[in-house]
Amino acid sequence: MNMLSRKTVKSVSSSFWMQSLVALVVFCLCHLVCGYSERDRAHDLMSRYPLIDGHNDLALQLRILHNNRLSQIDLHNVSKVATDISRLQAGHVQAQVFAVYVMCGAQQKDAVRLTLEQIDVVRRMCTEYQDFELVTSAQELKNSEMRHKIACLISVEGGHSIDSSLPTLRMLYQLGVRSMALTHTCNTPWAESSSKLYNVFQRQNNSLTEFGKAVVDEMNRLGMIVDVSHTSWDTALAVLKHSKASVIFSHSSSYSICNHSRNVPDWLLHELKKNRGLIMVNLHSKFISCRDEANISRVADHFDYIKKMIGAESIGIGGDFEGAVGFPKGLEDVSKYPALIQELLQRNWTENELADVLRRNFLRVFEEVERVRDQLSSKRPSEIQIPLEEVQNPCRLVLTPPDVKGLPSDQNSSSSAEHRSPCLLILVTVLLLSILFVTE
Amino acid sequence: MLTKVVLASCVVLWISSCAVNSAEDLMTRALRLMSETPLIDGHNDLPWQFRKQFNNELNKVDLHTLSTTHTNIPKIKEGRLSAQFWSAYVPCDTQYKDAVRQTLEQIDVVHRMCEKYPETFMFASSSKEIRDAFAMNKVASLIGVEGGHSIDSSLGTLRTMYQLGVRYLTLTHSCNTPWADNWLVDTGSEPSEHNGLSLFGKQLILEMNRLGMLIDLAHVTVTVMNQVLDMSQAPVIFSHSSAYGVCPHKRNVPDEVLKRVVKKKGVVMVNFYNDYVTCSKTANLSDVADHFDYIKKVAGADIIGFGGDYDGVTRLPEGLEDVSKVPNLVVELLRRGWTDEEVKAALGNNLLRVFEGVERVRNEHTQLNSAHVSGYAGSTIRLIPLLYLYDKYEIQVSSG
Repeated sequence: MNMLSRKTVKSVSSSFWMQSLVALVVFCLCHLVCGYSERDRAHDLMSRYPLIDGHNDLALQLRILHNNRLSQIDLHNVSKVATDISRLQAGHVQAQVFAVYVMCGAQQKDAVRLTLEQIDVVRRMCTEYQDFELVTSAQELKNSEMRHKIACLISVEGGHSIDSSLPTLRMLYQLGVRSMALTHTCNTPWAESSSKLYNVFQRQNNSLTEFGKAVVDEMNRLGMIVDVSHTSWDTALAVLKHSKASVIFSHSSSYSICNHSRNVPDWLLHELKKNRGLIMVNLHSKFISCRDEANISRVADHFDYIKKMIGAESIGIGGDFEGAVGFPKGLEDVSKYPALIQELLQRNWTENELADVLRRNFLRVFEEVERVRDQLSSKRPSEIQIPLEEVQNPCRLVLTPPDVKGLPSDQNSSSSAEHRSPCLLILVTVLLLSILFVTE
Repeated sequence: MLTKVVLASCVVLWISSCAVNSAEDLMTRALRLMSETPLIDGHNDLPWQFRKQFNNELNKVDLHTLSTTHTNIPKIKEGRLSAQFWSAYVPCDTQYKDAVRQTLEQIDVVHRMCEKYPETFMFASSSKEIRDAFAMNKVASLIGVEGGHSIDSSLGTLRTMYQLGVRYLTLTHSCNTPWADNWLVDTGSEPSEHNGLSLFGKQLILEMNRLGMLIDLAHVTVTVMNQVLDMSQAPVIFSHSSAYGVCPHKRNVPDEVLKRVVKKKGVVMVNFYNDYVTCSKTANLSDVADHFDYIKKVAGADIIGFGGDYDGVTRLPEGLEDVSKVPNLVVELLRRGWTDEEVKAALGNNLLRVFEGVERVRNEHTQLNSAHVSGYAGSTIRLIPLLYLYDKYEIQVSSG
């Protein structure tokens, strides 16, 4: 009996372990299958609704690393950066807003020239590679998806790039710029930055001046998206109240989750909602977790929170790759976006909500901005100029006529085109007549 | 006595009718030629007047009635102007300061002028668009940037200005750039900094060829003229310069250069400014015609054009006081025995030939780039001299 029970006990315990092992294996397999299917789902979703990302600073890296010499690199695979064509394709990025950024130190120096050079490098990049297609309208963006191209859009990052000149703004639009952030980390003479890094153009209670409003008006008229990432909250509020079109934060996150001044507080989110605008979440670790490290889960917290505040229809993605050092684990470069979408799927975001976040919200805003432009089509280009006292500096010339070119001469209304032939004929006539009468 | 009086009267009547008829014939002929071939003027500074007089506030200007400039819409129509390179000029004082921004503002004012008067102006940036505008009875409006200081020594800036519709760059105004010497060096009043063009200046020339941007040699030294004529793959222009052989002013073009321009199939568009026409403060229409005759004699009618410099200068010849008077100059040329073909060449056919040549070179460069990418060697054989030049001037063909 004892031997039998020992055997029975033995067989019972070994079968228990067998079952546990099987259960464990099945559990792991399930988990693997489920996880695999979530990843699959994310890729599948993104291949149907590929991403429009709101902000990438590759142009800046091209300048820093290669002095804008595109001929020295192959944009399919670029080292030392987080963005290249291969990885954009792997990350299901169908459209990228490339930022044209020049340092605040160039303000009132050669910011305009540097801006033109950055626009030039983005244009060259996007026209020289068949995988890219430069687009300047919502319709072109949609068309590029059907043609399986990565659409390039151009945004300018900082109002200092226009040197307080509306004609310059217009010329940037003509060069293909479709969005402009009103400030970077420095105040302009007419808008305030969230950063106090540069001690310039400090004002009290005048975060968006009259000229600043004229800039917003002209952007509305042109059909250029107004971007308030980097601006102070007061400036952002003033813009939201003044703009006739929807406004975006091209790369900012939630202040409630991470209280960095670059992020957006709840009350401002609500203003954005009223404006039917868009907040495109920035993935940089310091804005996600307020620390040097972050993870995908923390990023997803921002999405969850903003969705709770103002709905999924107000959200987009503005990764800020190349514009910052330090990205969350699992989101190190532009090929990793699907991991974020996977996380959101696991948090029960619906496919509809994610399709909105990935691209439909941005397209809605872009089309709305174009609609406002069409409504304003009878308005003349603005001739407003910034008052000199607000912008005077040694590099800004008030032109006086030099010697060679001066005022036009007074108009002479006499038209005395010479006719030599009639004079000669008159002389001949007189001679003939005199001959006739003299020979009388 | 009575017979003599009657005879005298008949003589007078007959002679005066001949006079009237021939003048009318010439003007009719001139206007006919100007209706068949567009008058393309190489240089007009109205945009500068907009800035000086009105701070670029076009809302305060009515171009139909503006009376303080050489140029307005009624005068343009009377003068049969069919195409104009409007000058986007900013003074040399802006060099190393805000030249780029101010130039963008001048480019903008030309665009706005065309938008404000769409029944008169049609913005143009190609030879085809000049012809299209002419067919629609509108003034083709192009842009030339007057002075290399406007690009702040930046090829990226040059390219973006091309994108904004700029189709010629005058390499200097009356100041040296960091890469080119201006005409004042030839007067001895300024030292040469580059002995013509620096290496960057030469790279710029090749880039202008590649882009399809016309190279304008008004305002440069003779050395620069010769260096550009040496190396440019495309024809070149002088947008507003006259003949040194008639008036030895350093803004004018010497005979040896005129002959080289013939070989290059370029164009010299005669400037009407008195100081460059007679080398004195006064001039008349006939003096301007002398320049046309002289260039025809030295180099042939195929390199002549009109570059009045209206609204850019203070002293203009008697008979050519504003843009409405230009047909009278055409009459004078006809009176001097110019053939219809020669007149039409000067009016616009020469410039169109140059522009088409420049566009052809641009297209060949595009082919070169694609060939380089695709590895197709055939089209590159013809372009090997180009590759040599790229190598010589350290230009890298874009990979893509």
